[in-house]
Amino acid sequence: MASVELRGLTKRYGSLAVVDDVSLTIAHGSLVCLLGPSGCGKTTTLRLIAGFAEPTAGEIHVGDRLVSSPARTVPPERRQMSMIFQSYALWPHMTVAQNVAYGLTLRKVDRATIDQKLNAILATTKLDILADRYPGELSGGQQQRVALARALIVEPETLLLDEPLSNLDANLREEMRFEVRRLHDAYRYTTVYVTHDQSEAMTTADVIAVMNGGKIEQAGSPQDIYDRPRSEFVARFIGSSNVVRGPAVERDGVAFAGGVLRCNGARLVSGRDTPVSIRQHDIRLSATRPSDVPNVFPASVVRQVFLGGSRDYMIEVEGGTQLRVITAAEDDIPQGAPVFIQVPPERCRALER
Amino acid sequence: MQRRNSGFDMSTPLIAAFALVLCGLILLPMTWLAYYSVTDKSGAFTLANFKQLVTDPVLLEPLLTTLTIATLTSLICCVVAAPMGWLVARTDLPMSRTVRALVTASFVTPPFLGAIAWELLAAPNSGLLNQAYRAWTGAGSDSHLFNIYSFTGLVFVISCYTFPYVFVLVANTLDRIPGDLEDASSILGGRAFATARRITIPLAMPALLAGALVAFLQAMTLFGSPAILALPAGFHTMTTKIWSLFQYPPKAELAAAAALPLLLLTVALLRAEHKILGRRGFSVVGGKTGEPRLVKLGALRWPALILCIVVMLCPVFLPYGALLNATFSKVASKVVSFDNFTFHNIEFVFFELSATKLALKNTFILGILTATICTLLAVVTAYVTTRKAVPGYRVLGFLATAPVAIPGIVLGVGLFLSYTRPPFVLYGTLWILLIAFVTIALPAAYQQLQTGFRTVHVDLEEASRILGATRLQSLAHITAPLLRTSVIATWCFVFVGVMRELSAAIMLFTSETKVISVLIFDLNESGDLAAISVLGLMMLAITYAVVILANRVPGFGGGVRLRNT
Repeated sequence: MASVELRGLTKRYGSLAVVDDVSLTIAHGSLVCLLGPSGCGKTTTLRLIAGFAEPTAGEIHVGDRLVSSPARTVPPERRQMSMIFQSYALWPHMTVAQNVAYGLTLRKVDRATIDQKLNAILATTKLDILADRYPGELSGGQQQRVALARALIVEPETLLLDEPLSNLDANLREEMRFEVRRLHDAYRYTTVYVTHDQSEAMTTADVIAVMNGGKIEQAGSPQDIYDRPRSEFVARFIGSSNVVRGPAVERDGVAFAGGVLRCNGARLVSGRDTPVSIRQHDIRLSATRPSDVPNVFPASVVRQVFLGGSRDYMIEVEGGTQLRVITAAEDDIPQGAPVFIQVPPERCRALER
Repeated sequence: MQRRNSGFDMSTPLIAAFALVLCGLILLPMTWLAYYSVTDKSGAFTLANFKQLVTDPVLLEPLLTTLTIATLTSLICCVVAAPMGWLVARTDLPMSRTVRALVTASFVTPPFLGAIAWELLAAPNSGLLNQAYRAWTGAGSDSHLFNIYSFTGLVFVISCYTFPYVFVLVANTLDRIPGDLEDASSILGGRAFATARRITIPLAMPALLAGALVAFLQAMTLFGSPAILALPAGFHTMTTKIWSLFQYPPKAELAAAAALPLLLLTVALLRAEHKILGRRGFSVVGGKTGEPRLVKLGALRWPALILCIVVMLCPVFLPYGALLNATFSKVASKVVSFDNFTFHNIEFVFFELSATKLALKNTFILGILTATICTLLAVVTAYVTTRKAVPGYRVLGFLATAPVAIPGIVLGVGLFLSYTRPPFVLYGTLWILLIAFVTIALPAAYQQLQTGFRTVHVDLEEASRILGATRLQSLAHITAPLLRTSVIATWCFVFVGVMRELSAAIMLFTSETKVISVLIFDLNESGDLAAISVLGLMMLAITYAVVILANRVPGFGGGVRLRNT
């Protein structure tokens, strides 16, 4: 096993840079999620790592080996990687056992060892009774597990997953998220996981790299990304924030709704228009003005919806800015009523862009 | 896990070799063709051949005749095929599968065989239909209802075997228009007529236009039917003229010059077809959408079916009947009865006619070799182009498709010119025919396998490679087994195509290298129609056997384009 390092990785199709100067180190044995909306370049990055595409610029190192550069690309079969495809790519003319054992057969492993490893992995993935079925005879979840078993049996240095759960129904998807994490904890392969689903990334990843427009916007632990987003894109994409804007005043404040919103995060330059991210459930509502706390603003309730476990508000502050607020279900303030919002300054995150 | 060190990737030199072979197949004959067209007998540069082409009425007239025939055929085909295609695809026409099968039957009938069958039916004196007419009306022995040896007769017979091209394009397109496109129009208030006018017809229009162009092309490059029907009537088309320029005394330079306009027109028409079909990819619309709703014909159902059957009399029922009749009749032009029923014709063809055995042997050797070589070439080329496996894969795809733009007769001329002189003297051997057949069959085989490769998702190969297989290993373990059905189907269709090829073979055969189609053509010149009927029916039987076999192979898509000759 080894670490994977991307250095200034770029892939252009014509003048369009699909992957644009991406640098990322994936530590040995860790699971990194490439997270982003469709078209952000995450799958192309994965295919570059796999060796299915050649970079226009930049390099990929696995351990101390240079595997991709514009001058030379090691073909995928010599990278000692495994991949789980979005479509699973199970070979329809082979049984489950044949599909799974394929990688070992290629490596000319002796029959006894193949059988032993095959039985072990089929047991782990609960596929033993399906060994002689063909992929066409399996359900979506079963196919997914076959793809998983096929990728794991060769004990790869690096495991690549391309939206592996996107073809499953919601319940199964939730279950498989934890399964992926459990298997990763058991085997500790260096893993790159591509997804557009943030809760999938949150559950599975050691490090999340949020991609947008071919670039990595921000990389860090799930909590880091969630608590300390650096850009508006990340703030909105992860856990859907309210992002308000205003010119910075002083060192830790941004003009907002006729007052000053105290915040932390990015270094502020007085007078410059600054985005500030506020999570929906970090805003407190009260009918009366709270005293002795900063960041209190008068507002009115535009609409509210009872969601059972919580209440979903849309409120409007002075100047017409609307904010979405999630509160406890018992905080019932009727539509049209005046209200005060209060946000702890440590929960207001000034963004770099 | 320790990986063994895989060696050099063999695929690159292999693919380069294939590119070279493809280049040789096409460029060599076309270069000689161009060279001959601008030289005189002594080899000096001249434009006199082209000048003669546009000034000499002996050459100019066939060109005009050809264009007229092609235009008329194209129109007739559209008028017949478009309504039939609609009836079959979009209405509750009874027995619509049978109608489709009948159209397929006229599709696979070699046009020259159809032309000969219509000689049996509508030759002015001996034609069965004319005899029936005289017997019925009591008209004099010199009067006749039809004369197939005429311009009209020729257009009719060509149309009979060209309209399936239009039909297939139109019906397939209508089949694939998702029902919800029409439903969406209905829900917005479009009545049946408005929906047809604004949605269905515009969607099918490109297919019809493309069909018209293909029909034009077929009619223009056909050799067999005009040679059989126009020559007795005393006029020439371009193809027969080119052929006659090679009869004694041969005028190769002039033939080369006459072949070039056909080549250029074909290229232009194919580009137009591509543009029409390519710009709006209606045909690929589809997938998980509802079944199209069928128009209820009501009381018109049965009249519509009868109309279809009457149309199918011309290319299928009547000609097949005439061939069967001639096979078992002592005199080809007499209707079979107890008095003149005989097996002698069959005996004659298979045991007495010495040419049969040789032609059969040659046809089978060429068929098997061509099918094998072609399939191999097409597999590699289709792999390289669908997987974009090497830089310059487009060139390879272009080379494999290019022969589609070379009419058989033009290719025949080019090959004749290339291989009757050093460095390659192949004339008089089966090799030259093999080269011709491979070149002609390659585009269809390539198209077929390209479709096949597209159904094998690239993920399946990549999954194998990431697990450690080289490209060639992935091909052997994953792609080949999945592609087997397409490969078998392609092989079958090339084989059938070889059997019906006439227009290139007619330029290249010698007495030792005759094939069945040439033998049939020869027998027609000597007036031995009974023998032709036997051979023709045998040919049809083999064709149907192979077509049915290939269609039974699961996963085999339609859209096969057999080339007319």
